[in-house]
Amino acid sequence: MGTRLNWNLTQLKTELSKRKEVKGWVISQEHIHRRERYFMQETRILVTDQDREVHAQNIDLHLFVRLPEKEGRQGETSKKLFLSLPLAEQIDSAIQAALQTDHQAWELPSEVPTHLPELRTTDPRIAEDIEKVMAEFTDRISMAVTKPRGTTFNSAELFISVHNKEIHLSNGLNHRSSQSRIYNEAAYSYLKKDPYGNPRSDEYLSTRWAVNMEDLNIEKLFDETSDRAEHSLDTIKPKAGKYAVIVDSEVLATLFNTQITQISAKNSYHGLPFIQPGDEFVPNAVGDLLTITLDPSLDHGADTTPISGYGIRQSPLKVIEKNRVVVSPTDQRYAQYLNLMPSTTCGTVVVEPGTLSYEELTREAPQVIEILQFSGLFMEPHNGTFSSEIRLAKLYDKEKGTVTYLKGGSLSGSFKENFQRVRFSNKKVKRAHFSTHGGSESSGEGYYGPEYALLADVSIVG
Amino acid sequence: MRATLSPDLLELRRELKTLIPILEAEPGWYGSIYFEKKSSQSLSANLKQTQVNDQVTLGAVLRIYDGYTLYEQATDQLDHESLKNLARLFVQRVKNTAQPSNAVCRLYSAPTWKDRLSEGHIPEEILSQIPAQIQSDSQVHFGIRYQIDPKKNTPTETIAHLKELMEQCQKTAPQAGLSEKDLTFVTARQSLAIEDSIFLDRETDMSQTIYRVALTIILMSGADRTFLRLGGLGGLETIQVKPSDILTLLKDLRGLKQSERLLPGKYRVIFGPVLTGVLAHEAFGHAQEGDTCARGRSKAWELHKTGEKVGNEHATILNNPAIFDMGGEGYGAWGSYFFDEEGWLAHEQVLLDRGILKAPMTHLVSAIRLGIPRTANGKRENWTNGVYTRQTNTYFSPGTKTLQELMSELKDGFIALHPAGGMEDPKGMGIQVGISYLEEVRDGKLTGQLFKGPAGGDIQLTGYTPDVLNSIISKSKIEADSPAPDSAQHPWNDVGGCGKYHKEFVFAGCGGPYILLDQVILG
Repeated sequence: MGTRLNWNLTQLKTELSKRKEVKGWVISQEHIHRRERYFMQETRILVTDQDREVHAQNIDLHLFVRLPEKEGRQGETSKKLFLSLPLAEQIDSAIQAALQTDHQAWELPSEVPTHLPELRTTDPRIAEDIEKVMAEFTDRISMAVTKPRGTTFNSAELFISVHNKEIHLSNGLNHRSSQSRIYNEAAYSYLKKDPYGNPRSDEYLSTRWAVNMEDLNIEKLFDETSDRAEHSLDTIKPKAGKYAVIVDSEVLATLFNTQITQISAKNSYHGLPFIQPGDEFVPNAVGDLLTITLDPSLDHGADTTPISGYGIRQSPLKVIEKNRVVVSPTDQRYAQYLNLMPSTTCGTVVVEPGTLSYEELTREAPQVIEILQFSGLFMEPHNGTFSSEIRLAKLYDKEKGTVTYLKGGSLSGSFKENFQRVRFSNKKVKRAHFSTHGGSESSGEGYYGPEYALLADVSIVG
Repeated sequence: MRATLSPDLLELRRELKTLIPILEAEPGWYGSIYFEKKSSQSLSANLKQTQVNDQVTLGAVLRIYDGYTLYEQATDQLDHESLKNLARLFVQRVKNTAQPSNAVCRLYSAPTWKDRLSEGHIPEEILSQIPAQIQSDSQVHFGIRYQIDPKKNTPTETIAHLKELMEQCQKTAPQAGLSEKDLTFVTARQSLAIEDSIFLDRETDMSQTIYRVALTIILMSGADRTFLRLGGLGGLETIQVKPSDILTLLKDLRGLKQSERLLPGKYRVIFGPVLTGVLAHEAFGHAQEGDTCARGRSKAWELHKTGEKVGNEHATILNNPAIFDMGGEGYGAWGSYFFDEEGWLAHEQVLLDRGILKAPMTHLVSAIRLGIPRTANGKRENWTNGVYTRQTNTYFSPGTKTLQELMSELKDGFIALHPAGGMEDPKGMGIQVGISYLEEVRDGKLTGQLFKGPAGGDIQLTGYTPDVLNSIISKSKIEADSPAPDSAQHPWNDVGGCGKYHKEFVFAGCGGPYILLDQVILG
């Protein structure tokens, strides 16, 4: 530590290929450049509370070793490597760790895909000059904050990053890619006096991820956040019962990206809940029948890539058609374990839209609740249930012709039950989400599908 | 025994210290450096395979506070020349940033050791590791205490242990009315993280090393799932599994297969230690985070100033990063440390005192903006992430009753022992506490019947935070199974985590006594 050593990826690969225990490897190198600003309001001016710049480089080695005494088995481990530490020691340590493990053996693809398509994964303006984009977005936030409103601006965060990545597989595949990411959040509060003259206040926080600049409309985000904050005090609690409920694309992105894991070959292999090809994705569905495609080629999608981490060519794959599972997304490992063909496992979850407008959805039942925001939506991936407190919602009453804002109470849903009679809106929107839990940069989750869905018979308690 | 700093960091520590004068390039600038190296190894076994994975995060954060903004430059290029060049470029970046003309300047200077020690609330576990006659150039190291060396077992031995635990689950299954075949997924996972960190400013040069040990067993039968999670700061003594733990896991799994669905409504319920921790954390934990207050996003800051009551006499909530002996077990709580990531020494803080809000937790810039004392709550997800005011171990103060007395007082209702997340609403003061499943109690005794949520999933307690805090009827002692006075000073805390503003994940302890709540909304 403290002295720069001079090993590089070529030396790493050479060193690995010399070791007799080593059967194969996947090396992933990522350089991240991120700019961050945290804004707040102080004495009516926008101030920068924190201003950060991050440069980080991750080199991850996934190593496969031979276990001569165990036929049909192999050892595997994942290890983060550091340029500042001696290479040989790090490789020794990885081999020793892999030798302690026990996996069913499998092989990386024998053929390396060629002529991979050039996909739009990075906003060129961010890649070229991140500071310039930071300045431009900062100005737009400043303008949005100074716009006269009945609410008070509280805070905003803006993160912009570029991720340059390369993967090297022991089968000879080398692939370089990059991705830009933008995160923006805004919080507004609203203050008014109750009939007794006591001040009451509440707030609304919006968050949004995007890959390119056009997919993040800062002005709309700030306007919508302020508008919702303004309604957050004119609320009542919902009455307990079962309702038709509209959820938006942010919620749908979470529900679909979680539920779709139940059709993966990985679940089948490990004995986890699995919906096999030919089965209904939603049992006894009678509403808009789901058609879902994994699209790894979508422009500026959160998980757009021409190849998987194991070097399998990725192309759009229809996984569910009219509610029937067509195929199990299967990577190279599980394809060999289960004697299947490897397929697309990456990509944005693309859901076919419905035929109804948003307005029509709000009139589909005598009373319709539209969830504007959950406090914290939790979904259980194995049984498809989900629940949350209601942070803000609208109640459309068709008979009375009224719209009432709701807050509080909780919603309990089940994908299998509440999507049986689902109706989707006819307009599609794109959503992205990235997380960094556990200290390593994750790939994103993408959604491109109906902006709204109407679920039936959802349990709500006030 | 105490953990020592990794020897490979000694040279870097000296080099980093030389950067402080570069960072303090202008009069009034406060320069500091935070460095972390977190090395973790996780080992797991399931019915199909065994795994070993190594993770390391390692990087330095150079910091300048100029009276207006906290600037940070984070890097993992740690050779001396790179760091020196980066420090100079960073200084230039700060100089080139214009501040709004009418912004308020609030300068800050590094506290001396005399300042720090005169605060008077530093716990003995920390004081005992600070050398006498300490000066600004003294190096101080804090190491976590441990009994059984967490590094003593080889990966082979650990994996063998994990496989034994899985076999125990399978062999014990018939005692719980399950066949081995009913267990469709079984996994056991153990992890050890060695966390070295260094904090430097012109007055301070300190480091700490923490051993973070955890063990998780997950059992599934179809889509039903139960889990056991053990761990703490220390050695292998933190993850000792008892045979009764495994039998309980299996019985609950069988119970879930025959569970009923809860009708949404208002119920009497006892929350176990982990759930009370989640309740405290979401109630006036998040709302009492100084940066949320400074952003105008917390009602607690207004209520603290007016002194309005937001809970009854049972509603006392503490945050404490200095729990090094939880529940009398002899090891540290999950959210503990000796100093935070901005170099502030850990100590206990009362956030809510019998329903009255006290001053919030802070980190450097939130304390400066709010004009209140600093507390040791400056934390970040890892060195690449920004620093926020974050909770450590948040819990209710203990009561005087045993669990059996609470069960008798409950009479008919439920006991909730298994968490499923939670969410705060600091401005609107709503609350959400997730419960995996409930166990039915009739006439003060468990009936064996389990309840899932109305849709077959988790159950959510929701409500207006002051209403929930006013619904507490009773609290148990820390050692809730014994009528004798508590010998433990701090409650047991679970291995937990916390997200903030929908991202920014950090470790947090989650525990406390049992509490009895009346007429709370479960749905």
